[in-house]
Amino acid sequence: MRTDDAAPPPATLADLTQVLRSKNAGPTLLTLDLFFKDAAGYARAAASPALSAPAVAALYQVAPAQVQRHLLPSLLAIKYALPRRVCAGTPGDGDVYGAQQHVPLLGIVP
Amino acid sequence: MTASERLLLQHRAQDGPLRILAASGQLGYGIPEAALQRGLARKPHVIGCDMGSIDPGPYYLGSGEMAAPAAMVYRDLELVLTAAVAQGIPLIIGSAGTAGARPQLDATVAMVRTIAQARGLRFRLTTVASDVAAEPVVQALLAGRLTPIGPMPLPSEVEIRHCSHIVGQCGTETLARALREPTDVLIAGRACDTAVFATLPEMLGYPVGLCQHMAKIIECTSLCCQPSARDAMLAELDMDGFTLESMNPLAHATPASVAAHALYEQADPFEVDEPTGTLLLQQAQYQALDAHRTRVSGAQWRPRGQATLKIEGAARVGERCVLLAGVADPTLLAELDNILQAVETRVRQLVPGDWALYPHVYGQGAVWPLPPAQQSRHEAGLIVEFIAHSADLARTAAGVFKQNLLHHGFAGRHCSAGNLAFAFTPSELNAGTAYRFVLYHVMQAAPLAALFQVETCTVDGSPSGARQ
Repeated sequence: MRTDDAAPPPATLADLTQVLRSKNAGPTLLTLDLFFKDAAGYARAAASPALSAPAVAALYQVAPAQVQRHLLPSLLAIKYALPRRVCAGTPGDGDVYGAQQHVPLLGIVP
Repeated sequence: MTASERLLLQHRAQDGPLRILAASGQLGYGIPEAALQRGLARKPHVIGCDMGSIDPGPYYLGSGEMAAPAAMVYRDLELVLTAAVAQGIPLIIGSAGTAGARPQLDATVAMVRTIAQARGLRFRLTTVASDVAAEPVVQALLAGRLTPIGPMPLPSEVEIRHCSHIVGQCGTETLARALREPTDVLIAGRACDTAVFATLPEMLGYPVGLCQHMAKIIECTSLCCQPSARDAMLAELDMDGFTLESMNPLAHATPASVAAHALYEQADPFEVDEPTGTLLLQQAQYQALDAHRTRVSGAQWRPRGQATLKIEGAARVGERCVLLAGVADPTLLAELDNILQAVETRVRQLVPGDWALYPHVYGQGAVWPLPPAQQSRHEAGLIVEFIAHSADLARTAAGVFKQNLLHHGFAGRHCSAGNLAFAFTPSELNAGTAYRFVLYHVMQAAPLAALFQVETCTVDGSPSGARQ
């Protein structure tokens, strides 16, 4: 039986990006930087409703107006800025540096 | 003549580029020595080191302790201090001792004095204290001159007064005032990362936009390279742009890696607010000179009439005790949320008083919420924070919680000898004082010259100095 006829699984952001990172921008804000491997991946992501500012706001459970999105075609990059759920290091915070908050984006199919 | 006087008097932009060596972006975690030596061989005009950040959380600002290990801070300071003094290069260190509060500035200066004695160094030391008293912040609050940065609530007057330390980020305006004093070594309390590297270039008349852009990129040393590294980074600045070159031959500053770094830890990729104005990067150009170096130009600068002040303040929340344990029983894992709540209810009856509990269940969504279907049924790591006014109460709550969780009965329980796997005992550990940020605000119309105290003195560890 041939198996290479099966459609490949749809490409996720984990597949399409070379860097997908999160980090605090100060203790109250989080930034998400997506650097794509190629122009096609960038173009697909930039046009995708799944990566609009409101969609990312829903993913991170913040109000739509609280997410800023910047498209950087010359860098094949998309950047988001959004509020952190709690101020960094306040008791109960689980990620003081905000360095592991990129995970929900990894599986998104743009 | 001191190093800063010599540079400010003798260097002219038309004589050739200004070489700025970023020796460390996190002084105290081990400056790679080979790259530092390669940088020193390039005869830099300025050596800059960033020593702190707000990133490590409120503990360091609150407590006044350094985040980096003291022995490593000593090693790194000794490396840059001996090199700078021997070659007569101004050395600028910002955000002394992690958060840049008075105890951290004092500890850094004390270490510098010890090194001077041990190595027989003599130099002119200028310090900038960045501490802000509660009163002017309260006045700013009452006058409506306190603006939150991001979703930070406005503090109450009481909360401001409860901050154990409040610091302001001094910018180029303050470091320039300090560097107008005859200076070999400048150590600033909390300072803008960029001011450490931009101030002397700005004083020498290089375009402010270029100085700030250069500073923004090299303040993390070779983090802007591909692959990223922690080695010293050299910027060669002229009136039209600057060239970036890592002193690690294997870390390459490429147009893509440098441009990407301009986005790092930054909410807006094109407009970066600094105390004295806004850095505008819409026109920035990045061009490869070869496989290792990138030339950067085009940044613009929109000056602000009056410099703004970003202030940071942390207050004590209580004393923290943490319980560490593993859980592996699948029935227990499936019911863990309910069981933790049941145990908390029981412990609150046994241990009265005001204590708070924050469970972090690793493997079940501690870092990012996880749907129940994806939660680990193999094992989970449990960290429970207990915070109370006294360490005794936090420890008591943690200890009683541990024992009640260990022997908690639940439906379908097989593991009647105990619910928890301890990697070691005691499994509850005192974790010191817990703090939180109360202030992360812009203070408008702050009296900068009065807030930032500049002091200057001669440090003489030379044999002749010791005899005096």
